[in-house]
Amino acid sequence: MSAATDTRQHRRAPADEDSARAPGALLQLCAITRSYAGRPVLSGLDLSLQAGTVTWVGGRNGAGKTTMLRIAAGLIEPHAGSLSALGIDPRRHRARYQRLVSFLPAGDRGLYARLSVRRHLEFCARISMLDAAESRELIEAALLTFELSELSERRVDRMSMGQRQRLRLAITMLSRPRLLLLDEPLTSLDAEGAGLLRAAVERLCSDGGAVLWCSPTGEQPDLELEQTLTLQEGVLVAA
Amino acid sequence: MSQIRAFNAVLRRDLTVYLTYRTRLVSQVLTSLFSLTLFYYVSRLVHLSGFATPDSYFAFVVVGIAMVGVLYSCFQIPELVRQELLAGTFERLLLSPFGAVRSILAMSLFPLIFSFLIAAITLALACVLFALHLDWSTAPLSIPAMALALLAFLPFGLLFAALTVLVKQGSVGTSWVIALLSILGGLYFPVALLPHWLRDLAALQPFGSATGLLRHLLVGSPTSEPALHAILKLSLFAAILVPLALAALSAAIRAGQRSGTIIEY
Repeated sequence: MSAATDTRQHRRAPADEDSARAPGALLQLCAITRSYAGRPVLSGLDLSLQAGTVTWVGGRNGAGKTTMLRIAAGLIEPHAGSLSALGIDPRRHRARYQRLVSFLPAGDRGLYARLSVRRHLEFCARISMLDAAESRELIEAALLTFELSELSERRVDRMSMGQRQRLRLAITMLSRPRLLLLDEPLTSLDAEGAGLLRAAVERLCSDGGAVLWCSPTGEQPDLELEQTLTLQEGVLVAA
Repeated sequence: MSQIRAFNAVLRRDLTVYLTYRTRLVSQVLTSLFSLTLFYYVSRLVHLSGFATPDSYFAFVVVGIAMVGVLYSCFQIPELVRQELLAGTFERLLLSPFGAVRSILAMSLFPLIFSFLIAAITLALACVLFALHLDWSTAPLSIPAMALALLAFLPFGLLFAALTVLVKQGSVGTSWVIALLSILGGLYFPVALLPHWLRDLAALQPFGSATGLLRHLLVGSPTSEPALHAILKLSLFAAILVPLALAALSAAIRAGQRSGTIIEY
């Protein structure tokens, strides 16, 4: 058993109690509508994620996958519709929602070029409002999970794109979120990196979390999928 | 406690990044040194009724030079927000339990504290190299006075940061605002030299009061207003404008989330 697995046993997510009380979906998107410059992107989209599952959403470039994820993450607001994670509304209880949900945006942005791997994780642990002892434990676990221990003192601008992606994933999963939103997470990862991600996703699901994985059509992850959907004309349909 | 840890994390991050640029401090100290040298020799030419000797004008302008750095550091906040937007790290701050408003507030700490340090180095250089005489009986009081001044200046940076979140331009108007405040704040010459209507305008901002107070405490310059009046004015600016600026920042972020432009840069 890895250290990452060991430490996971000791931590209880802040909303675990809520999870026990709130039956049903971990994430619920209801009739979400969003347009950009008058162009409808999402048109009454519904989605429900159950604990312990991975849902894959595919679709053409520009279909609205990233917009859906940004709304689910609480980054942007829908024009109509509602969303909640374990019954928590991101607009009313922002901080509580952010403790539950973690979002990996597509691309290679979101890192500080001149900070080391460890400094990134320390920084993110602190803005996640984790206490000191918990932070230390989670940082070591994240380094092990994504095999970053040897790179821990290396600055980001001296790392390869694949190594940076592993760090982005480690940051995203650092606080052990209940709900993981991944936008094209395999970007720049080699087979080994993809394997580490798969293992981490499976572990999160076995702990009662849920994962929403978005990637272009044809790039379905090699995981047991509860739902396989395609975003088409603003709504989700079975792939 | 976790809030303090988060503020500290942002401060530590900014210090770490700063220290990776090894020549930056040397460059900033050299800039101060060149400004001091320039104004030392300019002061030899100055014969104004308000200044008994060239040294008294030099003492006046040294505090002004130190305050210009503080002024710049306030208006650095919007540019820092823009850098976060460009790097995609703003999303991480926004989606953290700590939140974007507190993160921006925390982001302002390093430049403000650092400008305080550079101001102290500037004064030290002026003392050592140009024989500036500090009034040691009141100089220690300049530390709380500077802290109050920073609180009064902070909302200006935060308001421009709110504008940056909305329009994505960090430097919109900041350079002319700094230039205008340098004039109205009497950083390089007494406000008394300005036309009457500009003097009235100068009374509406806190930079002149802060600079006057610090000059009085550091080099014993006579003040144009009683020290207590300046302290009250700075306190009022801080008490009224800090909450207003934070509310404006919060509203700008919310507006960006509603319009969807929060992720644009």
